[in-house]
Amino acid sequence: MKKALWKLLKSLLLFVLSLFLLSAAVFYVSRLAPGDPLVSYYGERVEKMSPEQRAWAEARLGLDQPISTQYVRWLGQALKGDFGISYKYKMDVLEVISSRVGNTLILGGMGFLLIFVGSALLGTLCAWMEERPLDKILCRVGTVLSCIPEFWLSLVLILIFSVNLGILPSSGAYSVGKSTNFGDRLVHLILPLTVVVLSHLWYYAYLIRNRLAEEIRSDYVLLAKSKGQSRGKILLGHCLRNVLPAYLSIMAISVPHIMGGTYIVEAVFSYPGLGTLSYESARYQDYNLLMVLCMLSGAVVILCGMAAKALNAGLDPRLRDGEVRP
Amino acid sequence: MNEGFRVVGRRPMPAPAPAKKAAPKGRAAMIFLILLAAGCLIARFWTPKDPAYMDLANANKAPCGEFLFGTDTMGRDIFSMIFYGGGISLTIGLVSTAISTVLAMVLGTLSGFAPNWLDRLLMRLTEVFLSIPELLLVILLQAVLGKATPWSISLVLGLTGWTGIAKVVRTEVRRLRQSGYIVASRCMGGGFFRLLFGHLAPNFFSSILFMVVMNIRSAMVAESTLSFMGLGLPLETISWGSMLSLAEKALLTGSWWIILIPGAFLALTLLSITDLAHNFQTASARGQRNL
Repeated sequence: MKKALWKLLKSLLLFVLSLFLLSAAVFYVSRLAPGDPLVSYYGERVEKMSPEQRAWAEARLGLDQPISTQYVRWLGQALKGDFGISYKYKMDVLEVISSRVGNTLILGGMGFLLIFVGSALLGTLCAWMEERPLDKILCRVGTVLSCIPEFWLSLVLILIFSVNLGILPSSGAYSVGKSTNFGDRLVHLILPLTVVVLSHLWYYAYLIRNRLAEEIRSDYVLLAKSKGQSRGKILLGHCLRNVLPAYLSIMAISVPHIMGGTYIVEAVFSYPGLGTLSYESARYQDYNLLMVLCMLSGAVVILCGMAAKALNAGLDPRLRDGEVRP
Repeated sequence: MNEGFRVVGRRPMPAPAPAKKAAPKGRAAMIFLILLAAGCLIARFWTPKDPAYMDLANANKAPCGEFLFGTDTMGRDIFSMIFYGGGISLTIGLVSTAISTVLAMVLGTLSGFAPNWLDRLLMRLTEVFLSIPELLLVILLQAVLGKATPWSISLVLGLTGWTGIAKVVRTEVRRLRQSGYIVASRCMGGGFFRLLFGHLAPNFFSSILFMVVMNIRSAMVAESTLSFMGLGLPLETISWGSMLSLAEKALLTGSWWIILIPGAFLALTLLSITDLAHNFQTASARGQRNL
C-alpha cells in the first residue's frame, strides 16, 4: 500500500517537473522566434505607431523586460491560476480555450472511439481471413489510405463533396446562427471525422492483425483446437484476449498522434477547435495562448506516455525497473 | 491374437511443401522510386519548361498539349515543377532520416546502457521533447537560420524525428546488454562507439530498419504539411508541399489539377516507400497457422 502511494507520488512529481521543463522550453523558444506580438494585439495599427507608443504598448504587455524576468513573472501568475489574456481575442486565455475545447473533444473523441473500435474489428477480421483474398484486399486498401497525407485527403474530399457535388460544407463546425442545431453540426463533422478516422484506422488495425497472426502460431492454440474448441472461440476468447493489453497500451500512446492529426484536419477545415487556435497563436505570436495550448498538449502526451508505460511494464517483465545490470 | 499390430516404422509424412519463393513484393515500388529519383536528378535536362518562370498569360490553365499537367495560379508549368520539387522533397526525406537515425542510435544506446536514474531522466526528457509541437520548432528554426531552406527543414525534421527509433533502440540495448559478447567486449575495454557500431547496431538494425524507412515517409509528410500550411518552404522554393500551398486558391476556382497532381505524386511516392519498408519487415517468414 505504502509502496503504491510512493510510486504515485513519484510519478506526480515527475509529471510536474516535466511540465515545468516544457513550459520553460516553450517560453524561450516562442520569445526567440521572430514576429511581432504587438501585431496580434493591435492589428494593423502597429505600423502607424510612434516609437513612444510602441514602447508604451510593450511595457503594458510586459514585453520590454528580459525573457527570464518575463518567465518568472508568468510562472508566478500561472501558479495562481492566472494565465494572462490572449493578445488576439483580448479575453482570458482559459476562456478562449474553453470556448473551443468542446469542438476538439467532439472531433477527436469521436475519431478516437471510431478508430479504437474499428481497428479492433478490422484487425480481427483480417487475422481470421489471413492470406485470403478479403484480407489481402483490406491490407492493400489500408496501406494506400494510410499513405495519403491528412491535409491532402481533406483537400480531395473538399474538392469532391463541397466544390463539385456541393452536398457537404467545407469549413467550420456549424453554419452561422445554428450553433445549437445538432443535425447541422453533424453535417459539418462528416468530412473532418472521415479524414481523422481513415488516416489512422489502418495503422492500428494492421497492428492487431499482426499481433493476432503471431498469437495464432503459439502452442496453446493447437491445444485448444485439439480439445475441440471452435475457431471463433479460440480467436476471440484466447488470442484476442492475449493481444488486448498490448493494444490498450498502444492506444494510450496513440492519443497524442490522433490529437496531432485532428489539429491538422482542423486547420484545413477551419474547424474552430484547439488545432486552429494553436496554429493561429504560433503564427501570430499570441504568447499567452500559445503557452497554455502547448502545456495542455504536453500534459496529454506525458500522461498518455505514463499510462502506456504502466500498462507495458505490467505486461513485459523485462521492461520493469530494478533488473540485473551487466 | 496380435495380428492387428505390426511395427512398420514411422508413418511416411508428406514432405512439407517447399515455401513458395514469392516475387519480391516491393518490385513495382522500387522501379517507381528509381524512375522518379532519376527523373528528378536530371530534371533540368529534360523537363520542357523552366519551373520558376511565371507565364502570367497562361496562369491557371487546365492540362493540355503544351502544359501536360496544366499551370498553377502563378502560371508555372506543373509538369516541370513536379520533377524539380520531387528532388527537393525526396532529399528532405533522406537527409532528415539520416540525421535522426544517427541521433536515435546514439541516444538510445546511451539510455539503454545508462544506470536506471539516468535512463529514466533521458526517457523523461524524450517525452518532454516529444510534447513540444513541431510547429513551434520550425518557427524557431526560421528565427535561427533565417529563411527556411530545404537544408534547414531537413535539419529540423531530423532533430525532431528521432524519438520513436530511440525508444526501440533503448529497449533492444537493454535486452542485448547482458549478452556474453557485449560483456566480453566491455571487459576487453571496448568503448561506447565500438560497442554501438561494432556489436549492437548489427544486432538491432534489423528491428529499426522498418522504422528508419518509415521515417523517410513521415519526414516527407511533415515537410509537405508544413509547407502547405505556409510554415515550411516558401512558394519560390519548389517542393510538393509548397506546390500544394496554392490549394486554397485552387479550391475557389475549382482547378483540380493544382491539387490532385502534386498530391498524387506525393501519395504514390509515400506508398512506394511504405511498400519497400514492409518488404524489410516481412522478411522473417511466418510458419504454419495453428488455428
